[in-house]
Amino acid sequence: MTSTQTRQELTKEFQGIKYILTSGMRSKLLLTIYEHPKNLDDLRTELEKPSATILHGLKELETNNLIRKVNKYYELTSNGYLITTNMVKLIENWYSVNKSKLFWNNHDLSDIPEDVLKNIYLLKDARYVNSTTSDLSNAFNAYIKLISRAKQLKIMLPIYSENHFKHLIQILNKKQFKSLELVINEEIRDAMQKNDYLSKSILENEKVKIKCISRKIRIFLTFSEEFASLTLFFKDGHYDDSQILIAHDKNSIKWAVNLYSYF
Amino acid sequence: MNINNDITNDIKFLAKSEIRLKILSELYNEPNNIQGLVKQTKITYSSVSNNVGKLEKNNYIKKINNKYYVNPMAKVYFKSLMDFKSSIDMINDYNDFWDKHNLKQLSTDSIKNITDLKNSTLVEATPIEIFKTHNTIKRQMQESKTVKAIFPYLHPEYPKLIENVLKNKGTVELIIPQSIFKEMIFRINGKTRRKAIKKGKLRVYNFKENLNLYLTICDRNIGLSLFKTDGSFDQNRILISNDLKSYKWAEKVFDNIKQQVI
Repeated sequence: MTSTQTRQELTKEFQGIKYILTSGMRSKLLLTIYEHPKNLDDLRTELEKPSATILHGLKELETNNLIRKVNKYYELTSNGYLITTNMVKLIENWYSVNKSKLFWNNHDLSDIPEDVLKNIYLLKDARYVNSTTSDLSNAFNAYIKLISRAKQLKIMLPIYSENHFKHLIQILNKKQFKSLELVINEEIRDAMQKNDYLSKSILENEKVKIKCISRKIRIFLTFSEEFASLTLFFKDGHYDDSQILIAHDKNSIKWAVNLYSYF
Repeated sequence: MNINNDITNDIKFLAKSEIRLKILSELYNEPNNIQGLVKQTKITYSSVSNNVGKLEKNNYIKKINNKYYVNPMAKVYFKSLMDFKSSIDMINDYNDFWDKHNLKQLSTDSIKNITDLKNSTLVEATPIEIFKTHNTIKRQMQESKTVKAIFPYLHPEYPKLIENVLKNKGTVELIIPQSIFKEMIFRINGKTRRKAIKKGKLRVYNFKENLNLYLTICDRNIGLSLFKTDGSFDQNRILISNDLKSYKWAEKVFDNIKQQVI
């Protein structure tokens, strides 16, 4: 038997989340009322449960100061609003990861700061593009299509890839393209410097701003004002060019900006 | 919000068992085997092994060379669950600060990152020091080179405090409601004020509607106060913080409200 003391300590430690998350009724009530205040009829129709069950749940939440009743309508208290908003975040975080399960589970995430991972809910509208056996470069092509329409780009480039450089130079040569900010590590910069062509057309290009960092990064992040994309490394350290996460919405771009700001 | 049942069931699977959460948190910090987990958590062998089995079956952990590792995805799940836990702790720890207070001026994203404020201190007025909250802010403004603030009301000492920051070659950025605009600005010494405005050292944004939030960002601390749901300002409580995360959080709130003005 696990000792009573250990058991009590554990119970105390996780009490808060357990109360909210293990009762389907409580969490559903909070999420439903979060949209806007509801009366008992609304709740009965939405949750498809008898009044007695719902009233029991409501009573509990009221006692815990998470909801209150105003003129027959139940609404969240300020504490209820704080908790429910954060529960929505939890569910959205979970949803974002779950939506692109293979992508997140196959890769090394250790270079993504914890605070950025915690806000993965911002990526809930991101789409994950996988290469298939019939089209091995599906992910790469999708990436090139994205960046070739951009007017300005910020890229964290963790790999030395002639193929990527070739396309970047093409984009840089376009008149309408304004600026490229490139975060690379010293090793990659040194390798690029050894190549006259790359030196001239990228490193010394006036449209390009280079930020050189000493540590190796295992994140390939690209974003502009219109899109964000992410590719990662396998856990064994190899770069994976077969899977890419692509998004066009504001929140995803916000996530990218935030991740970028750490480097 | 459309509740995805699979997701809520997955969350429930973890949240339901303190033992599973404890095992995950141990393995998150350091991969281990069952013996090691028993030693660290003081949970019995049978419980540990039973729950490790369940976690493995549900793809949260994986055994590599006799040690269990948390899968990358499960790490994100676990982290966001723990983040939710600390948001609850944060709400409970500062219950008097949040309870029956108006949060409408804060964006959903700010609320979702409320845990950024978890290293705050709640300063409360006491019968012996009824102006404790004001004095705290006053001290901060006196010691500050840059001040960013959202002032929903005018305290008679504010114009002088701002004037002093400007006289010391500091920078002040304010968001204030229209109703106190003149009173606030014209009580700052005219010469100092005009010079500062010209040099971009004093910027004031006029908020057309009611402001339901009090925020200061000074050199050493940020301060946050709220209005009560009955509409009155809670002048007896201020949340003070000085870590990087809370600064980032406060800057975002400030910028967000500034966006609504310009």
